Amino acid sequence: MIEPKLMLPRVHAGTMRRARLLDMLDRDGGSALTVLDAGVGYGKTTLVRSWCAERPEAVIWMTLDAADDDPVRLWMHLATGVERLGEGLGQQALLRLGARGAPVESAVDELMNGLVAYDRPVTIVLDDVHSVKNQASIRSIAHGIKRLPGNARLLASTRSDPAIGLARLRVRRALTEIRARELAFTVDEASALITHEGIALSSQGVELLVERTEGWPAGLYLAALWLRELEDPDAGVRAFAGSARHVGDYLADEVLSALAPQTRDFLLRTSVLGRFTPELCDAVLGRTNSADLLAELARSNMFLVALDARGEWYRYHHLFGEVLQLELGREAAPELRRRAAQWCRARGLVEEAIEYSAAAGDAQTVAELLVDHHLEFIWGGRLGQYLGWVRWLPSEALVDHPLLPASGATTAALLARPEVEIQQLLGVAELARRKRPELWSPYLEAVVEVTHSETIERGDVGAAVEHGRRAVAAVREGADILSVGVLASLAQALYFAGDLAEVRRIAMEAVQRPDAPDVPDGYVGALGLLALVDAEQGRTESGEAWARQAIDFARERFQADSWIASLAHLGLALACAGTGRLDEAEREAVRGVRLRRSPQPTVGHAHALLVLAQVQVARGRLARAAATLAQAQRATTEFPDPGRLPALAAAIERNLSEARSSATDHQPIEQPSPAELAVLRGLAGGLSRREIGDQLYISLNTVKTHTRELYRKLRVTSQAEAVARAEALGLLEPGQSPG
Amino acid sequence: MSAHDYRVVVEGELGARYASAFEGMTVSAHDGVTEISGSIIDPSHLQGLLERIAGLGLQLRSVTSLGTDRAG
Repeated sequence: MIEPKLMLPRVHAGTMRRARLLDMLDRDGGSALTVLDAGVGYGKTTLVRSWCAERPEAVIWMTLDAADDDPVRLWMHLATGVERLGEGLGQQALLRLGARGAPVESAVDELMNGLVAYDRPVTIVLDDVHSVKNQASIRSIAHGIKRLPGNARLLASTRSDPAIGLARLRVRRALTEIRARELAFTVDEASALITHEGIALSSQGVELLVERTEGWPAGLYLAALWLRELEDPDAGVRAFAGSARHVGDYLADEVLSALAPQTRDFLLRTSVLGRFTPELCDAVLGRTNSADLLAELARSNMFLVALDARGEWYRYHHLFGEVLQLELGREAAPELRRRAAQWCRARGLVEEAIEYSAAAGDAQTVAELLVDHHLEFIWGGRLGQYLGWVRWLPSEALVDHPLLPASGATTAALLARPEVEIQQLLGVAELARRKRPELWSPYLEAVVEVTHSETIERGDVGAAVEHGRRAVAAVREGADILSVGVLASLAQALYFAGDLAEVRRIAMEAVQRPDAPDVPDGYVGALGLLALVDAEQGRTESGEAWARQAIDFARERFQADSWIASLAHLGLALACAGTGRLDEAEREAVRGVRLRRSPQPTVGHAHALLVLAQVQVARGRLARAAATLAQAQRATTEFPDPGRLPALAAAIERNLSEARSSATDHQPIEQPSPAELAVLRGLAGGLSRREIGDQLYISLNTVKTHTRELYRKLRVTSQAEAVARAEALGLLEPGQSPG
Repeated sequence: MSAHDYRVVVEGELGARYASAFEGMTVSAHDGVTEISGSIIDPSHLQGLLERIAGLGLQLRSVTSLGTDRAG
């Protein structure tokens, strides 16, 4: 089923073709970004929709709503739209979004790659951008705009200027703006609308109408609905012009009071529904003929928008929906919303059911739905949305459903939210354990303890081990489904604490479980730990095998380097270093560091830096090694309990100073000349002497002379020795002065 | 956070239906404008009120803070 969010609204037969504005959108082939920025009722959606209908290229249409404050949800829908352009185009982005805790920007980049691969013009429409308030979502949209490929155009409609750097885009003339001034009807356009509706209004009447409404399209469409029922439209317009009432208020009054009572009642009571089908209306209103009524309304009135061709989904025009809700009054709405929630719940429309229940103030149903579906949200990556709902619930509801604060804390930890927020949710879970012990279970115990344990990233290794052990005990008592993740988590804590024998035992248990591959982060993490331990203890062959198994699995699953494989890359780095493949070792260590990067210092990142420093010492890149080591040590001093990291750092420091003193024992007799250094770089890059000569425009004999001089100055006798010595002395590092 | 009294003026005179959108505020229409006034507890409250005004297609003329009232 195509989700209503992604449906292109139908162009109503009575809609005016606004050539003036359509030409603006087409001018100069159009900017990459067009923003339609004006208040409600200015015909933004209608304009974009009619423009799309006249264009040959593919359209991805998305209507944003408040739930898109979770950037993962926002981009999942867009990626689904891209996926529909053709097999596999949105796949990479969807996989990234499904990986918990991965940055959304990487998924946005993948999505743009998908658009590049489409290789034909495509239009993306983001309707109602003002619905999104969360900075993370807005930033991700701004990021998407920066990366928009040449074959794509983006049209955004909004009621207020979004913080996506419009001023900068304006200066660079990379933006087309269509605002209220442009969207307002001219007298000619209003005249065409009135004529099209078959209304006999004089030209003075039309002018008066445009003056009174200031060309506001919603006002003019409402006026047309009203005037077409009048005997003397000119008299109607004169009365309207003579009134001081607000335009929308006056016209809505006229239109609503002219409706048949049954129609009016239907409109008022369905106005609490955002998007609806005839069946949903039937269920909420206890009737059976909503389909006929909706089809009739969609034909005759422009305030009902059909979202598809089959007459399945509809919504009201935003302004009209608001007015209808005001007329309905507050008392009737909650019961209608409760019925809508029931209907949605029975059909598995979980998100809608939660939203209707929340709007009805029905915390009990929201809590039940979240408990029933928490794994879909959390394992599906929609963490922000899930956490938002948990935080909406009053604390009594959280105490009655202890799973919610517990899983909410896990979610907050995965989202790297502030410590205080995580602790507050854990505190509520703790309160629930004391107040409602009968609701507590090993499952909850494991969730709470593993969340505590994962605060290891914040630097308390001892506490992480303690909580990890409790989580494992709870899992053994009766929460088998959480085993892989919890075992991997304890294994990691033990690794940073330094108990390598136990790490091996626990990680082995995790990877040997048949359900291990179903929990990618736990599985790949445990494999990475096995790789690290084996490589560190000299079993380089099996270390390398574990690492490759982890990296291949993660690549297959996410079709790219994934943060969950960072430990495996570090393990591979140590295994390579142990067998003398130092280039590869450094490459892998750099990858491990990059994948582990985070805004605040973490134990994992500091450890990755130490592995890199160790490899750099082995490679003889001493200046770089010293810088990497210092960066790791700065982070380590901030941790309350850094486990074995200081000992590791001290060992690397010793290796570094030994390497330094042996390097000073081997100072060159004389500094190599720039020409000799150029030859040396060629040798280090694996070029033959002839190739070096070709590259430097010198003869083979000259290359040989330079090489002989190099050997003499560096006091070596072979090419391999010369390269190793040069690296140790920092002669090959760019920007480094020789010596 | 202390509450502030605010007066928000929008274009056009609003009838009872539109006025019901501003629960908890005093709404009075005269001379072609409508004044919506009352106690605003914090910036989010004010933001919500302004969004409500925009959502109903009302045109904002002015927003005035009338100073701090009793601790809110």
